[in-house]
Amino acid sequence: METELTLNHFLFVSGLLFAIGLAGVLLRRNLIVIFMCLELMLSAANLSLVAFSRFNTTDGVPNYDGQVLLFFIITVAAAEVAVGLAIIVALFRSRETTDVSDVTSMKG
Amino acid sequence: MPVYYLEIIVVVLGLVMLMADAFVKLEDKRNIAWFAVLVLSVVFLLLFKVSWPESTEGSPFWKFYDAEKGSRGFSLFFKGIAVLTTIIVLIMSAEFRGVLLKYTAKPEDGAHPQSGLSEFFTLPVFACAGLMWMASANNLASIFVSLEAVTITFYILVAYMRRNVGSLEAGVKYLILGALSTGFLVYGFTWLFGVTGTMDLAGIKEQLALDSVNVTAALFAFALIIVALGFKVGAAPFQNWIPDVYQGAPTPITAFLSVASKAAGFIVLLRISGCFFGSGDLSEKVGAVFVVLAILTLLFGNLAALPQTNFKRLLAYSSIAHAGFLLMALASPITLVADGKEPPLLDTSIGVIAFYLGAYLLMTLLAFLVMTAVRNQQEDDSLEGYAGLAKRSPFLAFSLLVSMASLAGVPLTAGFFGKFFVFKLAIQNGACGWLIAAGVIGAAAGFYYYFKVIASMFWNAPAEGNDGPIPVSMPAKVVMVLLIIAIFAVGIVPNLILGLIK
Repeated sequence: METELTLNHFLFVSGLLFAIGLAGVLLRRNLIVIFMCLELMLSAANLSLVAFSRFNTTDGVPNYDGQVLLFFIITVAAAEVAVGLAIIVALFRSRETTDVSDVTSMKG
Repeated sequence: MPVYYLEIIVVVLGLVMLMADAFVKLEDKRNIAWFAVLVLSVVFLLLFKVSWPESTEGSPFWKFYDAEKGSRGFSLFFKGIAVLTTIIVLIMSAEFRGVLLKYTAKPEDGAHPQSGLSEFFTLPVFACAGLMWMASANNLASIFVSLEAVTITFYILVAYMRRNVGSLEAGVKYLILGALSTGFLVYGFTWLFGVTGTMDLAGIKEQLALDSVNVTAALFAFALIIVALGFKVGAAPFQNWIPDVYQGAPTPITAFLSVASKAAGFIVLLRISGCFFGSGDLSEKVGAVFVVLAILTLLFGNLAALPQTNFKRLLAYSSIAHAGFLLMALASPITLVADGKEPPLLDTSIGVIAFYLGAYLLMTLLAFLVMTAVRNQQEDDSLEGYAGLAKRSPFLAFSLLVSMASLAGVPLTAGFFGKFFVFKLAIQNGACGWLIAAGVIGAAAGFYYYFKVIASMFWNAPAEGNDGPIPVSMPAKVVMVLLIIAIFAVGIVPNLILGLIK
């Protein structure tokens, strides 16, 4: 049996990716894993952007606005990782840990 | 001069500063900061001299950069807030250099004793360019890129004192929660694009007003975006990060975060919520969300500030409280507009918010300038360190008195009119009773915790071994005097700020 891929299929997968990423951020304790989950959330957005762009056509031409934003997101995500990993490395150097439960000296 | 030249000048200034640090032999790296202050002051004056295009048709550039007649004044006003804050933050950073150098890496043999300092002056300039662009961004792509340019710069700045436990911890928290809010923002933008088929805010507003729009999907997009922007402006229940990050970050950066970053967050929030307020069906639900957010933020920010013992943390909660008042203005949009007539500035949410942020800038930066001077003399920012400040430095104590009185909203200060206009707008536009009640409770609680600081300054004796005079550098002193004058001037003639918006 053959079914055609529709917008909903893409949105479902992207929603799933987003949910997995969010769950990872909330549940995992390791900073590196949390950071990977955050990237997963951005990828979810990228996937749905492409899907919306592909299925939102005028005269058979996709709406390329969405795909342009996608490239911005990839670039910004790379910058975020560069800065983020540097901060995590600095934390590891001073505390010998990448566990979020150890990063709680401030309270109130 | 075309308006976008301003951002270009600021970015070039940042590059020049980096080059100057690398290739010019400087005895004192503070000269880089003074140079930036000079150029930024010129940029501030140029804000009054910009020219706008006759027509925005034709050039694709204006699809990313707002040049509509109605919002030009506001864009410039928010750019002004960004530039002014950056200038004062740079002066504060120069004052703060002792603490900074202590907690950044120790220079190797033969290196400049102040190495690692000039980046701290350069990064706020880049953030300033991002904030200025954010004030004019009218496209989902340009909003996203400018917002991230600012946020990523702040990740570095917050974690800058990497030998200090608090700063590094604040940096990690800000990084994780900031990236989380970026995820929500992008996903929300995606859905908004999917619903409307365009990236342009004007186009989105048109599409959302149509009857054929998918209301559920539009509200889903709105919910995701509000989570992200609620985080940026510090609205409850997304305010978790604020106390820790504000407490841990270097003091000048805390000031930068609490003024410029908040102002930019609000203009983006205003622009995006404006799209949703266009259609009857959506605007009712969106308005209700803002009312709930405003009530939660007002109550949480003000009540949680009451038991604080750390002055910096107190100001963090106070900044949440002020976000509550700003949201209160946002939640009271105009209900009746006479056909074709521009409503008076103070009857619109954006007018009141702009005024409030202008006043907030003056009093908050004054408080942080005092805090920077005091922090140079002691190890932390606990309230005990401010006991007897009036005896140690009458000038600093007076400055803090003016700032706290204005933050609390005492008449004759700028803060009074800020709160007054918010309440007037809410009552005039028929806001719900709970919202006004939360506002009253918040304002009353504010009096308690701000005056706690004043009382301790004037009536308590200084702590043992911590009672010497506090030196203040000349530039900081000049800025503080100017801010005090501005607070009183705006408190007596509020038209000073309103005139700037027009």
